[in-house]
Amino acid sequence: MTGARKLQGDKLSEAEAIERAKQGDAEAFEALYHLHKRRVYSLCLRMTANTAAAEDLTQEAFLQLFRKIATFRGESAFSTWLHRMAVNVVLMQLRKKGLAVVPLEETFESEEETSKKEPGADDVRLTGSIDRLQLKRAIDDLPQGYRTIFLLHDVEGYEHNEIATLVGCSIGNSKSQLHKARMKLRELLKTSKAEKAAKP
Amino acid sequence: MSCEEFQRILPELEDTYSLEQEQHLKTCSHCSALVADLNAIAREALLLADIEEPSPRVWNRIEIALRQEGLIRSAQPAAPTLRKARWNPIWLVPVAAIFLVIFGLLLYQRGGVEPQTAHVLHSTPLPSLPEGVSAEQAELLKVVAAQTPSLRASYESEFRAVNAYIRDAELAVRRNPNDQISQQYLTNAYEQRAMVYEMAMDHGLQ
Repeated sequence: MTGARKLQGDKLSEAEAIERAKQGDAEAFEALYHLHKRRVYSLCLRMTANTAAAEDLTQEAFLQLFRKIATFRGESAFSTWLHRMAVNVVLMQLRKKGLAVVPLEETFESEEETSKKEPGADDVRLTGSIDRLQLKRAIDDLPQGYRTIFLLHDVEGYEHNEIATLVGCSIGNSKSQLHKARMKLRELLKTSKAEKAAKP
Repeated sequence: MSCEEFQRILPELEDTYSLEQEQHLKTCSHCSALVADLNAIAREALLLADIEEPSPRVWNRIEIALRQEGLIRSAQPAAPTLRKARWNPIWLVPVAAIFLVIFGLLLYQRGGVEPQTAHVLHSTPLPSLPEGVSAEQAELLKVVAAQTPSLRASYESEFRAVNAYIRDAELAVRRNPNDQISQQYLTNAYEQRAMVYEMAMDHGLQ
C-alpha cells in the first residue's frame, strides 16, 4: 500500500480515513470520496461520454467501495482497488446496454478501417499542436470498443495484460485495438485542424 | 524495410524498435511523422486522467444511501456540502420569512435608487429561468449580479446543488416517512438553502 497521504482540507490521512470509514465514520467516507472523485468521475465520463450516466456510475462505484471497505486489507493501493472497481462498474454497464466493449478479434483490418499506407507527404501534422478540447471531442467520437481500450491504456494507465483480463480479450487484440483507436484519433484531429485552418 | 512492413508491426512495438525499424524511421518521413503523432496523442491523453469534477449532488446521494443502509454510524449527520448551520432548525421558518420580507423590500427600493442597477434589472429582457433554480432564486441572482457580477455563476451553481439536494432528501423521506435520518437530512437541506439565501442577500445588499 502506498504511504498515507494528506487529504485536502483536513488532517486526516488516507490510511486513517480508511480505518475510520470501516467504523462507519461519515467524515472519513466523505474525505475518501473527495480524494478520489475526480479520477473515478473522469473515467466514467470518458467511457460513457454522458454526464448523467457518469454521475450514476460514479455513485455506484463509490457505494460498492464503501459497502466492501471492511474487507480492504491493504494488499494493494486503495486507489488501485477503487479504480478497478470503477472500471468494472462501467464495463458491466456497457455490457448491460449491449454495447460492444471490444470489437471481435480481427486478424485483418476491414476495408473501411485500413488507412492509406503509401508513403506520402501529410498535409497536416499534429506533433506539438494537439488541442486538449479537440482530443476530448475526438475521443467521444470513437466507436465504443476503441474508446474503451484507449481510455484504459493511454488515459488510465492499464497494461495490455490487465486490459485483456478486464474486458475479456487477448493481449494481441488489446494492442491492435489501441493502435486503431490512436489512428482514428489522429485522423479526427487532422480533419479538425484542417477545417480550422480552412476557415477565413 | 518498407512502410507496409513497418506499419503492420507497429501495434506490437510499444516504443521499442529494432535497428532495422529505427533505420526505417530515420529515412522515412511519413512513418516517423505517424509515430510522432501517435506518441503525441498518447502523451496528451495522460493529462485527461482526473480533470473532471462531478456535481455536489453525487456525494449527497451517496451519503443518503450510506445512511439508509446503516453504513454510516456516527451520532449526528454531518453537514454535507456547505458549512455547518449556525442556528437551531426551529428558527428556520421565521428566518426564511424575514429573508423574504427583506428581499421584497429590496426589490421595491431598487426601483428609484440606482439608475444603473434599475437598468440592469428592468430594461434587460427577462430571460428564461436558469435550469434548476426557482423564479425567486433567479430574481435574487439578478440582484447579486447587479452588485457583484462575478459571483452570479457561483450562487447559481449553489442554488442548483442545494435544490437537487432537497429533491433527493424529499424523495428519501417519501420512501421512508418514519426514518429519522432522512427527516434530518431534509431539515439539513432546507438549512443549507437558507444559508445560501443569506449569503446571496449579504452580497446583494452590499
